[in-house]
Amino acid sequence: MLEDIVSGYHGRPVLHGVSLCVPTHGSLTVVGPNGSGKSTLMKTVVGLVRPDKGRVLLEGEDITRLDAPARARRGLGHVPQEANVFRSLSVAENLRVAFDFIPARSGASYASRLEAVLDLFPEIRPKLKVAAGHLSGGQRQMVAMAAALMPEPSVLALDEPSAGLSPKNAELLFVAIRRIVEAGVTLLMIEQNTRLGLTVAAQGLVLVAGQVKAHAPARELLADGLMQSLYLGGH
Amino acid sequence: MAQLVFNGLVTGLLIALPALSLALVFSVLRFANYAIGSMLTLGAYLVYGFNVGFGLPLPLAALAGAILGAGLALLINRLVYEPLRGRSGVTLLVASIGVGIALENAVRFFAGSTTRGFDVEVARPLRLLGLRINHEQILTIAIVLAALVTIWIIFRFTRLGRAMRAVADNPDLAAVRGIPRTQVIRTTWIISSVLATLAGVLVGLDGNVDPQMGWNYILPVFTAAILGGIGNPMAAVAGAVLLGITEELATLVLAPHYRTIVAFAVMALLLLVRPSGLFGTPGVAR
Amino acid sequence: MISYLVATLVLVAIATIAALALNLQWGLGGLVNFGLFGFYMLGAYVCGLLVVSGTPPLLAMAVAMLATAAVSAAVSLISVRLSEDYLAIVTLGFAECVRLFISYEEWLTRGTLGVPGIERPFAGWVPAAWSDGVFLAFSFACLLLSFLFLRKITRAPFGRLVRATRDDATVAEALGKNVLAVRAKVFAIGGALLGVAGSLHAFYYSYIDPTQFTTALNAYAFMAVIIAGRGSHIGVLIAGFSVILLLEGSRFLVDVIPFLDGAQLAALRLFIVGAGLIAILIYKPDGLVREYRLRSGAS
Repeated sequence: MLEDIVSGYHGRPVLHGVSLCVPTHGSLTVVGPNGSGKSTLMKTVVGLVRPDKGRVLLEGEDITRLDAPARARRGLGHVPQEANVFRSLSVAENLRVAFDFIPARSGASYASRLEAVLDLFPEIRPKLKVAAGHLSGGQRQMVAMAAALMPEPSVLALDEPSAGLSPKNAELLFVAIRRIVEAGVTLLMIEQNTRLGLTVAAQGLVLVAGQVKAHAPARELLADGLMQSLYLGGH
Repeated sequence: MAQLVFNGLVTGLLIALPALSLALVFSVLRFANYAIGSMLTLGAYLVYGFNVGFGLPLPLAALAGAILGAGLALLINRLVYEPLRGRSGVTLLVASIGVGIALENAVRFFAGSTTRGFDVEVARPLRLLGLRINHEQILTIAIVLAALVTIWIIFRFTRLGRAMRAVADNPDLAAVRGIPRTQVIRTTWIISSVLATLAGVLVGLDGNVDPQMGWNYILPVFTAAILGGIGNPMAAVAGAVLLGITEELATLVLAPHYRTIVAFAVMALLLLVRPSGLFGTPGVAR
Repeated sequence: MISYLVATLVLVAIATIAALALNLQWGLGGLVNFGLFGFYMLGAYVCGLLVVSGTPPLLAMAVAMLATAAVSAAVSLISVRLSEDYLAIVTLGFAECVRLFISYEEWLTRGTLGVPGIERPFAGWVPAAWSDGVFLAFSFACLLLSFLFLRKITRAPFGRLVRATRDDATVAEALGKNVLAVRAKVFAIGGALLGVAGSLHAFYYSYIDPTQFTTALNAYAFMAVIIAGRGSHIGVLIAGFSVILLLEGSRFLVDVIPFLDGAQLAALRLFIVGAGLIAILIYKPDGLVREYRLRSGAS
């Protein structure tokens, strides 16, 4: 999906030739220490930062030149890290407005998409009439993900879903993310919390100083001592 | 006393339409539109042109004027505000002053500065529950309430209405959700200008049509919007009604031509005491 | 012809002083003043009424400056807790209130009848034929003094402080600067300049009434400041002269375009002012002259 990306700000590259690929129905978690370029990677994927070099492909099509809304309409669902719900709109309206301008790819109706998404996140079903700003942090993350899933994106990109959540809420949220993965949604996630991030995904990628240090099945990365040494500055 | 409150209610509803229009533009485009007064004047003159110039009955003339006004608002958006997209709110605000001056003088150029009136029959006022109610007041109440209900329905139940609220809430997220900003902005201008035109007709019926008419309303309109918490369209309506009644009651102690001073005093007091508006949550307003 | 030129140049000087005031308040201080014409009107009336009641003209002018300075500072305090958008409407509202008050309080201002017979400074010593020429020189002296004064305070530490509060009020506050006092001072100094401009207006016409004071002054001043590039005093001088001369000069067009009457032409000129304002914002956002900055990079 990403091909030899060099990306950064004001001509100063942060990513030095990163390539990665998420297979359809697969899942990949990108982990790495602070400043490794995870956020820049996410911004490049969703179209908030233009890469200086390299290509971004979505289902085999080159989307490098498209801006964020255009990528969203092509089927890239994005859940930003912060401010990812419309606080003054109700939960139901958040879901609706996410569907209004990007109709489902399969042609499914709003009602059927709503049911499908609420089955994935039963926690928010009783909150449909509540203004999203009144929800707890974990619930807001779920609403944000549910909204991103409404138009049946081909890829769901999650930006640090555990950020700002208590450990308990983060655990609960990742239970929900696991459900998304098991439902067959293609998932790309960057995550600060290595353990949580790698337990839900099939593949793991370790990014250090803008370069890929390891790309392997998530289970192996978790078991491997490699992670420890990377974070301790080894290699 | 009851008569004053009633008159104040009507005045407030008159202010409510442009105040709503102002708050709507502010919430979506993040700038205070000082051209709101001139948009009101322009609307009144367009309708006047169709009404007196082409001899259309007032409702039809209002419809035609609203359509033409919306077209002009879109043109202004294209020529002025779109090239300035991404610039600071103050730049847009100064640009809107320019738009205001240009529109008002376009009106003066074509229509002159003389005072005019719509071609309507004058009817005798009604008496109801001891209140003296004239037909323009009934019309004002009916039209403003209908307009408010329509706006509310648009906000709640239509795709573009929800999109407008979403953009007002969080423009970055709205882009992520595929909401086309350009289209939302155009819709905002259409609604805003239709409201201004309607207000122009009602103000013209209440008094006269002249190039200054919109300018005279700028201060009350901004005060009403600030009362409601600018950027909160529906609260602006409540602010307008409150201001209208205050202005009317103030005539008990002050000469009627000092209404503007009352509006200014209300605004000054409010800005000192509760800058987020009466209904806003403190800290949310900038 | 000469008298016409003199008249235009006096108006240019007056409008440019107003533009300099706006440049201090908005360009340097970041405080939008949409009520320029109200403070200007206040200055003209204070000065005019004092002169008519027997005060020497220069003393009246000084009182007018103090009055507009004090009132400006007070108005700026209304919106202390708020952003520029609000200051804009507060100043505009204040200006409207000034106009209403002057129009209706006839016991004090003679209302719409206006105040006639305002004597110019040095009137006793100057032969009548020279009156306009001397007054033109006096106006330009005022303009020059205003310019030099502004340039001096802009380059002084005070100027840096003003720019700092404009660029980031929170940081300035955190550094122990009293943002409130700085803003009030900026508004007061700008107000004093508007008092000068208003007084010159009263002297020049020797008769004032409420209809003379319109938002056209606002438009001129904003155009001059935007063309100049916010913050540049020398730019305002250049822009003030070129723009206002051009606009005032366009009064001649009445003779050239016979099918438009005077009122239409006035409307057309103001239309061009409005459109010009927008065009400059779109095509020349940084203005002609860059803001004065210390070379050390400290600002």
